[in-house]
Amino acid sequence: MTQSPQSEKSCLEPGWHIFLKRDCETCELVKPLLEELTESGVEIICHVQDHPDFYASLNPISDKTLKQSFLQDIEVTPTLLHVSDGKETMRLEGWVRDEWRSAFQQPDLAADLPTFRPGCGSKSREPGIHEILEARYGNPGFEARQVQIDEWDDEMEVCFDRGWTDGLPVTPPTDARIIRMLAGTTRDPQQVVGKVPPNLAPITVEKVAINAVMAGCRPEYMPVLLAALEAALEPVFTMHGLLCTTCFSSPIIIVNGPIAKSIGMNWGMNVLGQGNRANATIGRALQLIIRNVGGGVPGDLDRSTIGGPGKYTFCFAEDETDPTWKPLSVAHGFEPGTNTVTLFQGDGIQGIIDQRSNTPEQMVQSLAMSLLAVGHPKLAEFTNAILVLSPEHYGIFRDSGWGRSRITSELHKAMVRPGSDLVQGAQGVGEGIVAGRENEMVNKFWPEGLLIVKAGGQAGLYSAICAGWTGGRFRDQSQTVTREIKL
Amino acid sequence: MTVMMLREPTAETATSKRARKSPPTSLDGKTVALMDIGKMRGDEFVDRLEALFTERGIHTRRYKKPTNTRTAPIEMIQDIVSSCDLVVIALSDCGSCTSCSTHDLNDLDNLGIPGVSLLTSEFKHAFSQQCDKIGFDGASLYTPHPMQNKSTQQLHEFADNIFEDVLEKITISTAN
Repeated sequence: MTQSPQSEKSCLEPGWHIFLKRDCETCELVKPLLEELTESGVEIICHVQDHPDFYASLNPISDKTLKQSFLQDIEVTPTLLHVSDGKETMRLEGWVRDEWRSAFQQPDLAADLPTFRPGCGSKSREPGIHEILEARYGNPGFEARQVQIDEWDDEMEVCFDRGWTDGLPVTPPTDARIIRMLAGTTRDPQQVVGKVPPNLAPITVEKVAINAVMAGCRPEYMPVLLAALEAALEPVFTMHGLLCTTCFSSPIIIVNGPIAKSIGMNWGMNVLGQGNRANATIGRALQLIIRNVGGGVPGDLDRSTIGGPGKYTFCFAEDETDPTWKPLSVAHGFEPGTNTVTLFQGDGIQGIIDQRSNTPEQMVQSLAMSLLAVGHPKLAEFTNAILVLSPEHYGIFRDSGWGRSRITSELHKAMVRPGSDLVQGAQGVGEGIVAGRENEMVNKFWPEGLLIVKAGGQAGLYSAICAGWTGGRFRDQSQTVTREIKL
Repeated sequence: MTVMMLREPTAETATSKRARKSPPTSLDGKTVALMDIGKMRGDEFVDRLEALFTERGIHTRRYKKPTNTRTAPIEMIQDIVSSCDLVVIALSDCGSCTSCSTHDLNDLDNLGIPGVSLLTSEFKHAFSQQCDKIGFDGASLYTPHPMQNKSTQQLHEFADNIFEDVLEKITISTAN
């Protein structure tokens, strides 16, 4: 990803150099030896990363900025280097007595010291610090244009002024943060992931990382975000229409597999609410990408009449802790344990309160009543829907031996209605299915159009509906997409 | 004094616009593609446009996108390019239709098929924005908004009222 600082190594003067820090027992160990060598006429230039005063007897050069340590790619303290004709000719890390004896051609050197001591990690390699040094002294090789923040500028306000935010503050995308984010993927930063609507602008992994930084993601979320973006850009997901639609909808991301736990996602209490970093920022990053790279700005090409809070972010994991429940990813054909994202075009939520039904038959009728209202009670095969089934509601089914397949098929059966009640104009309402279907029995959803996702806290006889987008009426043209997350 | 450098999160696309291809000076012997974007009720409007073209002796070829929410399939674009000289795209009355149909207009223009996009008045700004973002000075005309709750007769009147302007947009005399 980054270019090596090797080319700048020649800036060291010819001769011996040693990199030390106060907070290193092995450095302390060799300090008297270095003093002895210096007194005997061996010239060793001493670079100290933290407290030069501690090594005052060695007339050290302060490397508190860690610039030299970074440029020389120091991984361990102490590191002894020899430079000749502008090139590094020797590098000894830690303390290995025989190596030092050989280096200084003194077979009896340091007879009172142990034969071996490992060194400590260089301060320049500490997590967080190294990325800053790379941004400051290296060349991250980024293609994105730089935006200068001056002394009197507020970087948070600059992000707002440039139209980069969704209305909430974003993390300013500095090089150090972008480098850190890119560590979450093995993909080349300049690899093109796809074209983002509505402008169909190409997006590179680097641009994904920039927007992920702004959204507040951690690097380990990158594989999930990249998979979600690739799913969103599959033509059959219809991201173009979804973004520009006058409807309420936006991408809803559902994560399955062990990665949900490993990155700390929420599938339990308050699952569709606030408070979990991974849930909040993965969904937000996808939205920021669509806004910033695709050009999907509300009022311009995002034409949603009313919108919805899900357009900030809408991402959650499925609860896979109950072995009796078949995860959504498995229902979509993936092996159990596979990490996947499922993208659904939807909005919501509409809550379902049922604290009285106590048999699966009652529950099916009860849930179906609420599901029939999706989009409009008289519309059918017009939108899809997600039913977020809570653990307590699922428990009523599970206790009678009903799993995903049975619940889904019984719900579909419970939502078949006579077309005569639904055609346009029937029941005194203009909206409805097209005339001519009066004599049909009509399904509410396409067979694949009802997704059940188990999620939510352990207590509460509530479930929820995420209504689908009107694009769902084009059954073959606009579909839910499930994609494996490549680590 | 610079205290921080940020990286641009946008696509960094150019904002300058290219002119659309010049339409012909006459429609004699030309074939006009009538692209129905696939939005509900749009076919009723396009039906009337088709009749009006036929009354003038102008040959048309009808197309219908599988969905208004995506750009046209490449097979449809290629068929238009190989069979037609001009395109009239109708009728966009939502954000997704507007964005996708503007891309279609641009794609066809790039392949030598100039045309005009017909939209409802509410989406004038969206059309302009999409043209800005893709750098294309596309041609457009507008019918009243909304159209979904209008009768077939009213939609035909919309077509009648806009037809002369459509002809002007797809001939060079007024297009330049």
